[in-house]
Amino acid sequence: MNSLEEFKDELETCFGTSCGFCERGCPVYQSLKVKTLCMKGRNRTMLGLLQGRFEITPAVVEAAFECTLCGNCDRWCSLKNTEHTRAFREYLLKHGIAPMKEHASLVASIKNYGNPWFQPRSARNRWTRGLNIPKAAPGKQDTLFFAGCTSAVMKPLIPSLVASAKLLQKAGVKFATMGQDEPCCGSTLRRVGQTEAFEDLEKKNLEKFESLGIKKIVTACPGCYTTLKESLEKAGSKIQVVHVAQEVSDLVKGGKLKVRKTHEKMTYHDPCHLGRLGGVFEEPRDIVKAVADLVEMPNSRYESRCCGAGAGLQSAFPKLSRDLASKRIAEAKATGATTIITCCPFCETQLRTVPGIDVVDLMELLLDASENEKDIRDDKEAEK
Amino acid sequence: MSYIDELIGAVGKEKVLTDPAELFVYGTDWSPRTPTEFNPPDVVVLPRTTRDVQRTIKIAFEHDIPVTAGGGLTGMLGGAVPIHGGIYIDTTTMNSVVEVDSKNQTIRVQAGATLQEVNDAVHPYDLWLPHQPESKWVSTVGSAIACDNDSTFGVRYGKILNCLLSAEMVTGTGEVLELGHRKAHFTSSGYKLMHLLAGSEGTLGVVTEATLKLEPIPETRRVDMLVFPRLGAAVDYLSRLLKAGLCIEAAHINCKHRLKFYTHSYKQKFGKDPTIPAWAEALLAISFAGDKKVVDFQREQAIELSKEFEAQLVEERELVESWWASKYTLEFEPFKQKWPDSQTKKKFGAADPGIPVGRLEEFYHKFIQTAEKHRLEILGMNAYLEHPNSIGFSLSCAVFVDYRSKEEVKRFREYHDELSKMAIAFEGTMSTFMSDTYQKAPYLELEHGASLRYMKEIKRLFDPKEIMNPGKKFLRRGDSP
Repeated sequence: MNSLEEFKDELETCFGTSCGFCERGCPVYQSLKVKTLCMKGRNRTMLGLLQGRFEITPAVVEAAFECTLCGNCDRWCSLKNTEHTRAFREYLLKHGIAPMKEHASLVASIKNYGNPWFQPRSARNRWTRGLNIPKAAPGKQDTLFFAGCTSAVMKPLIPSLVASAKLLQKAGVKFATMGQDEPCCGSTLRRVGQTEAFEDLEKKNLEKFESLGIKKIVTACPGCYTTLKESLEKAGSKIQVVHVAQEVSDLVKGGKLKVRKTHEKMTYHDPCHLGRLGGVFEEPRDIVKAVADLVEMPNSRYESRCCGAGAGLQSAFPKLSRDLASKRIAEAKATGATTIITCCPFCETQLRTVPGIDVVDLMELLLDASENEKDIRDDKEAEK
Repeated sequence: MSYIDELIGAVGKEKVLTDPAELFVYGTDWSPRTPTEFNPPDVVVLPRTTRDVQRTIKIAFEHDIPVTAGGGLTGMLGGAVPIHGGIYIDTTTMNSVVEVDSKNQTIRVQAGATLQEVNDAVHPYDLWLPHQPESKWVSTVGSAIACDNDSTFGVRYGKILNCLLSAEMVTGTGEVLELGHRKAHFTSSGYKLMHLLAGSEGTLGVVTEATLKLEPIPETRRVDMLVFPRLGAAVDYLSRLLKAGLCIEAAHINCKHRLKFYTHSYKQKFGKDPTIPAWAEALLAISFAGDKKVVDFQREQAIELSKEFEAQLVEERELVESWWASKYTLEFEPFKQKWPDSQTKKKFGAADPGIPVGRLEEFYHKFIQTAEKHRLEILGMNAYLEHPNSIGFSLSCAVFVDYRSKEEVKRFREYHDELSKMAIAFEGTMSTFMSDTYQKAPYLELEHGASLRYMKEIKRLFDPKEIMNPGKKFLRRGDSP
């Protein structure tokens, strides 16, 4: 990964451009209106720092860390802005800035427990109870279901994993999990600037996946999706990485999962890692459309606004983070939808902190609509 | 007690920035300057209300501290860069809509709202603010007034002054004034002091609220491009269209060099620059808007009349759409926006003179010669019609500037000054959309002669201590020209 110094040319290009198109969609800047907290100002801050124009001050640290790395600035630019910010964080840590205390504890937990939430490794496997999912063993299965730390150890999120597994089973997909040996993907480490720890983990993960002889990883979490996809592609691995929404959408389209459609108005929130950063927009929408009437928020797909949970913002800047969630919920409510659908454990947890609209996981929605096959048969009879 | 402590006491700690990193980012704008050329203020105020601005200016007045107000900092000539330090008022924190009066087709808004935010607010009423520079996503109402910048739709609706009915401002003494005619669309009462604000660059005070006239959103828009053998032929053609009674919405004459800069999405799509016939020296982009039947009729008439001027319609829609995306819709491929891509090595730098219509070609040759003389790569000339239903235009005489080279930035400034002075010799004006800033300040007497004294008196009336954006328009004592 590039260091901040290697981005100096890009920082100067941003200085030369000064268009400020990044300001309009930046959720943090639009909330706080401090120029160091939008990408144009952040790039200038990095440039000033490299020029030795000022020391590392509290505002410099805030400029680096008060950002969700949602990539909205990248959508309106051709520079690698989120990479600059990640390198900025790494630069500060290398120059003697202690990690933010909330981030330090996430890092310690990943090191000791393999997840950022101080949960024992055994907790990682609890969600699979009663589901009869085989544990991955070398050469045994082609497909690995990668649950991710957050959904696996956070009780309110477990139903989404259960729903994913049941849907895959219903459709006859043969898959395994790594049980309590499933590692952290390292997304959090990378995004809070812990590059060395991330690269070390990335290497170990690659070895583990290759040793299992799998052909495909289906992730439940969009953060795992972009992180593993990028890591494996960079390493030249032949293992394909998909998000569960992509896998399941294919099964719905291919007729392997029958669903019952209602005309309830629902809206879909694109998780940044799956949508803007991962390029997956249509498959989740296809699922919502198969089950309900989809109404779009004004800011959707590439223009989607971050829920405020990403890149350590939720832990280090909780008030701002909640403010961003409130704005997104307000946007969803304005569509007249009864429900906001999403498919990211962070977005779900974050959006549920704001009352006023149901927040439902995409897989839970689909399982609910596909569970009762007798109802589907009855509906078809009625249509006849 | 220092004035900064007083500011904190007056407006609240959360609205005052003093960290050197936070100040640093306010020290530059979009103008060609080297990456080390930052002029940060000493303190930044983030006001929420007119009262905050008033309290700030009163403290500045008492302590003789320079005050520079700014919006998106996309000025092309350093107009809102606080070159003398002091207090910077970031007006973007004042972006609330006060009132939309849909029947009167007006909006009252705080001056820090971006032009896009105004349009977002009035879109549900089927109205829009037609003052639309390319920087509309970032450029604020206050900065559009203070800079008197350009608009894509000037030939139908004019510029910001044509939309401005009334403006609230805080003078250099901290007095709050309302200039204009409230919600009436025009007036014949009193002196038109509101007009002083257009292009005033914050040298009289800070605009805090504005009442703007809106227009109904047209049902259809049709954009076309035509190529001409000469720039003058395109001008004659536009004059003919106006004589015919057509209602042109936008008209931009590009020289053949300029086209490449505006076709970023074409290049993204096809991997090459668009081509126009070798004989073509001018490329006119023109739009009509309104009910479809009317638009179709006007377009048909315009194409018919083009035959009298040896023009040729550009049939390649991708070229037209690419130009329009760059100019207005900003519909760029994700992660592929035009500006950073076109500024990696050199950036856009322009002079903005106004000249008599009949001397366009003569001035064009002078532009080319001047750019060559100063060893600057030619980006091209664009003539935008900016006056409602009239042939008068703004000129953008643009070159690429290697902004990492101090020497080239210096040559650019010399080029800019030479063209500005030349415009006066052509019986024109130095500036049509960038204002004077510090760059043209040394030549103001050349342009305005004895009337400059009256301007200075007006300045003294509004800003007796000369604290408002010092060094802009008028050189400050001790400034080197």
